[in-house]
Amino acid sequence: MKKFLRHPVVDTAIKALSRNRLQTVLTMLGIAVGVATVLAMMAVGAGAQRSIEQQVRAAGLNQITIRAGNWRPKVTESDEAVAHQGDARESLRHPLDRLNDDVLPIAFHPEDDPMEKHDHPTARQRLGDLEAGLGSAATMTFDDAEALRQLPGVQYVAGGIHENVRVHLTDPAARSGQDKRWFTRMHGTDVMMPSIKRAWAFASGRFFTEREQDRGAQVVVLGQVVADKLFGAGATPVGREVMLWNQAFEVIGVVTSATWVVQPAAGDDQFDAVYMPYTTTQRLLNLSKLNDITVTAESSGDISRLSREITKLLRVRHGIGDNEADDFTLITQATKALTTGGLPPSVARAVASNVTELEKVTLEQLALTMERASRTMTWLLAAVAAVSLLVGGIGIMNITLLSVTERTREIGLRMAVGARGKDVMRQFLFEAVVISAAGGLAGILVGVLASIGIARMLQWATVVSPLSVALAFGIATAVGVFFGWYPARRASKLDPIVALRRD
Amino acid sequence: MIGVHDLAKQYHVGDHVVHALKGVSMAVAAAEFVTIVGPSGSGKSTFMHILGCLDRPTTGRYVLNGRDVSTLPPDELARVRNETIGFVFQGFNLLARTSALENVELPLLYTRQGVVKASERRDRAMQALEAVGLTDRAEHHPNQLSGGQQQRVAIARALVTQPALLLADEPTGNLDSATSHEVMEIFARLSRDRGITIVVITHERDIAAYGTRTVDFKDGLIVSDKTNDARVPAQVG
Repeated sequence: MKKFLRHPVVDTAIKALSRNRLQTVLTMLGIAVGVATVLAMMAVGAGAQRSIEQQVRAAGLNQITIRAGNWRPKVTESDEAVAHQGDARESLRHPLDRLNDDVLPIAFHPEDDPMEKHDHPTARQRLGDLEAGLGSAATMTFDDAEALRQLPGVQYVAGGIHENVRVHLTDPAARSGQDKRWFTRMHGTDVMMPSIKRAWAFASGRFFTEREQDRGAQVVVLGQVVADKLFGAGATPVGREVMLWNQAFEVIGVVTSATWVVQPAAGDDQFDAVYMPYTTTQRLLNLSKLNDITVTAESSGDISRLSREITKLLRVRHGIGDNEADDFTLITQATKALTTGGLPPSVARAVASNVTELEKVTLEQLALTMERASRTMTWLLAAVAAVSLLVGGIGIMNITLLSVTERTREIGLRMAVGARGKDVMRQFLFEAVVISAAGGLAGILVGVLASIGIARMLQWATVVSPLSVALAFGIATAVGVFFGWYPARRASKLDPIVALRRD
Repeated sequence: MIGVHDLAKQYHVGDHVVHALKGVSMAVAAAEFVTIVGPSGSGKSTFMHILGCLDRPTTGRYVLNGRDVSTLPPDELARVRNETIGFVFQGFNLLARTSALENVELPLLYTRQGVVKASERRDRAMQALEAVGLTDRAEHHPNQLSGGQQQRVAIARALVTQPALLLADEPTGNLDSATSHEVMEIFARLSRDRGITIVVITHERDIAAYGTRTVDFKDGLIVSDKTNDARVPAQVG
């Protein structure tokens, strides 16, 4: 640095710039305003981009759930489905069916409910009938989950077992037998779950760890609703003990919603629920299958491709022939949100089958609105940035021209002792760039502060990336070069004799 | 050292064509100390600029050190100015707010090899200052130096690249008579001791007498060219 400062070009520049200190600082100020605006603009743009992405992720648009069994909450398509399955039935009819000559169970099978506990070979394996197991739920294994993990574009994979449970809290203060209880959903799941559920926030405690999962530890994470019901709102249940299936579980965390899109409510599947390692569930309930597998895509635009890949892979793994129906059901977040929402089941089914994209549409509208707002802001800032950089650039040109005029004799002298045109040009160009780069640095400082200010005061997400800082600095330097060019060129074209004679 | 053949230079001032030089031929041998005299407008300054490679003749040839420099491109001329020629001006032309030493270093920033290393720059500038007897003023700024001292700094600057040719355009024009003689003594000594070829323009006859040869210019032509047998000893009071 010291060596750099002593370089003659640098040294001359510093001397020259300090000669017109006030003008130099004012010019720098112009550039600083421009650069700060550029930076704030990029920060707002990137922030909006990120918050849109977060909302989309939080809403689970990049999420696919593969449920065991092919039970579908569809009514309007059932005719078509029956017709299709009827064709298959003709060719693959089981002797038992022929005996009965009653084909109604296709529409409803006792094993169709994926929420039921299944710990037996699939109906197909048991009966030796390829069609018989189609409604069965217990077709997914941990190995399936592992296989899905290998697919390109897959971000997280988590297997799950789901049960309805009664959670008991034995209140030490109360008399024995007077325990609180809450009927809720139990999710035996994977450590990956918090990464998949982006809308999760931990009110207290943590999720279970890989080690606890490996051990099948009796730990449980309570949904906010469950925690409130059992312990009362505002209590911290972490470290306390609750009972499930007459077994003691340690509460290690309370999970709640992180976004305003979803609020914890009694009866929802996420926060009126308890979570434990799926290994614990398997161990205690003597289960070996998974009810479902949740997969998230790295990008939400990849969902349809990934859905096809998953279907293909699982069909191969489950040995399903070309003419047979899947023994699993693929659900994206859009359909799931509707069928598990507060709507009456019949209405939800009708809506889900007819307007499967409904949820997605509203989310897209939300994203679009946010994007439009941030784009307006971005354009506004871009205009301010462009104007201030232009004015700053003209300032640089002005001060450099002033400097060239003031130092005409000096230029002549330098030429007389051997400076070439390009030496002179480099000197003045460097001085212009020093002003713009120094202004740029100041602008970056102001811009970063402004971004933080915007985030605080307007509740507007801003992201200052190293790339945008580099870009802002680059723009500042480019402005210096661009507007310094003409004066520097003019200086380099001076006739030494004329320059020397100038007063 | 210097050979000029039928050198002519015309300027265009508005619609008029000014014939500053109308065919000048002369030769200067190495280590000669030539003084050029003449009234203003006689073309002696134009001649000097051409000699100093600051300007190019309209017609005619200028051979410096055996090389025709009259048609060189600007960057090559800059190199010649840097390596072969030292220039001293009437108005000193020192950089303000810059120490004497740094002023002397200036030509070393523009050598063909690029910027000379700082330590070497300093050494060479100190040697040049020593030659003009100003080592004790190295850190002074021009406004802290007298006129004569400033001109001596300018001479040191011209010497720092160890040129073969030293050109001075009225170096005593801004100095009082006593200081003028001091400065001329330095030129005489450089010519005598170092064998540097020196050309000095002046319009004072007593200053011109320092040269071993005096050339008279009038209306863009040489009117007389005579060798001075004996130097006029400077009587400084």
